[in-house]
Amino acid sequence: MHDNGEAPQDDAHRERQRLVPLRRLIEGWALVGGLVLVAVILMNVFSVASGALFGRPLAGDFEMVETGVAVAAFAFLPWCTLTGGHVSADAFTERAGARTKAALAILAATIGVAIAGVLFWRMCYGLADQISYGETTAIISIPLWWAYVPVVASLALLVVAAVIALADALPARDMWHD
Amino acid sequence: MDDPITIALAGLGVMIALIALRIPVAYAMILVGGAGAAILNGPHVVLAQLKTLAFSQFSIYDLSVVPMFVLMGHLAAHAGLSRDLFRAANAWLGWMRGGVAIAAVVACAGFGAVCGSSLATASAMGQVALPELRRLNYAPSLATGTLAAGGVLGILIPPSVVLIVYAIIVEANIVTMFAAALVPGLIAVAFFIATILIVTALRPEVAPRTAGVPRAELLAATLGVLPVVGVFGLVIGGIYAGFFNPTPAAAVGVFLVGIYGISRGTVRWPEMRSSLLDTARTSGMIYMILFGAELLKIFMSRAGVPQAAAELAQTSGLGPYTILLILIATLIVLGCLMDSLSMILLVVPFFWPVIAGLDFGMGQEDTKIWFGILALVVVELGLITPPVGMNVFVINALAPDVAMRKTFEGVAPFILAEIVRVGLLIAFPTLTLALPHLMR
Repeated sequence: MHDNGEAPQDDAHRERQRLVPLRRLIEGWALVGGLVLVAVILMNVFSVASGALFGRPLAGDFEMVETGVAVAAFAFLPWCTLTGGHVSADAFTERAGARTKAALAILAATIGVAIAGVLFWRMCYGLADQISYGETTAIISIPLWWAYVPVVASLALLVVAAVIALADALPARDMWHD
Repeated sequence: MDDPITIALAGLGVMIALIALRIPVAYAMILVGGAGAAILNGPHVVLAQLKTLAFSQFSIYDLSVVPMFVLMGHLAAHAGLSRDLFRAANAWLGWMRGGVAIAAVVACAGFGAVCGSSLATASAMGQVALPELRRLNYAPSLATGTLAAGGVLGILIPPSVVLIVYAIIVEANIVTMFAAALVPGLIAVAFFIATILIVTALRPEVAPRTAGVPRAELLAATLGVLPVVGVFGLVIGGIYAGFFNPTPAAAVGVFLVGIYGISRGTVRWPEMRSSLLDTARTSGMIYMILFGAELLKIFMSRAGVPQAAAELAQTSGLGPYTILLILIATLIVLGCLMDSLSMILLVVPFFWPVIAGLDFGMGQEDTKIWFGILALVVVELGLITPPVGMNVFVINALAPDVAMRKTFEGVAPFILAEIVRVGLLIAFPTLTLALPHLMR
């Protein structure tokens, strides 16, 4: 699904040669999200082991799971969008011409940009709200806005990913060529 | 046009049109849900909700098992658990007529026990079992058909991502749902094996007999499968026994599979990296749909659609089983066009209030469990039926020389078996409910 800078073989491949640093960034961010997930998993294992051996599970493991997995899930969104991971139903338009399909792909990608933009815009305010409320998680009192910072960064990258996906869907390659 | 129900129905129409036009399902749900809620509640309300809605949705504790089970499936495939399973099943069953295909089904069931997704199961087992079936000159349609159908076991045998999502929507206990899915899942295994036995008895030429394996191989293969059995026993057994909640159980499962892969040298950084990226892609898709479904739910409940649907069903004069059959038929049709997760998220908020208002001679909790399993079985049928049949596509990509039509031909007897099974599950709810009752 991703390219590692191999020689371009076809048009689609050549397109993916653009904006490589941004694509790498999005991929790297998804890996960071994956490592957050792994950290949550290890924390859980530690908590289970500690509970089984010493009768004392980790305090607040519940909320660390909730927050950690949410942070990871947001970090996954740009990569999913960039690689076209969102499922769609292709059965109805299977017989449509290549032009129609290309136009529909542009429409889908445009909607993707709009959704990413609105989410990013609103959750910036969400972050501001969280900072001013100073709400914390129940047991270990982590300020909730800490979690919103990586989330808003993920959404900024989601906007970038959606725009790249739109650029990939557009036929006018020359516009983007260096 | 200002009647909320009219607006909601128009919204649903627009959404279906968007989905038909290849707009990703998640985008269609977000767009229609957001716009509909903005019309009914006012834009400022929706804009205010959007500040926190996605975060509160993504941080639901019960959902945290979803990316974990996804990661476990990817790691298990890389760690070689799929290979171990097939090798052991083949050592035990391969000598029978159609035995290698039967072994593939059993291995799929085993892999389904550590993996929550049909596609991942089909793909992991296909890579392992398909070359072997082809090498032994099994008919191509039987080989691909068996694996496409076997992949469905990935989701029928708990853990199952779709089941987790169903449980969250209807507020059922995930552990109870897992328990309820076990017996129907085992029936599916038995039926698939019976299907292969019947097909190979009718047309012996599709499955050449193969020699049994030497005792040493039988022993080695059996020992090799113990890690999988161990992980399954600990994770799912631990959940059933009440020793674990699903989230810690999933975490321990991922941890053990990872450790196993690392210690064997089959999981190094490149495999870890690709497992994480695949997990990111799949989970990102799931979370986006969940977010869209939540927005859509806000729109639809504000418009009163679920209650209206329930009232319509109650005043329709149709018997409860007729209505159930109509809903199931709807799911089968939709399943031919959409993926199972989007479908569950899309229809259960409407179908569940309808079902809940009907009398099936059992308590509300039991109806919830029973209908969930029925819905799960039926939406998974869509994975192997034309025209979309995602599992068929996955398997076909692994065997490009087999025509898609051949694979659908090979899958047809399994679809028949599935229909019989749905009939059984409807006629005898106790098949689904016995285990959850036992656990209470």
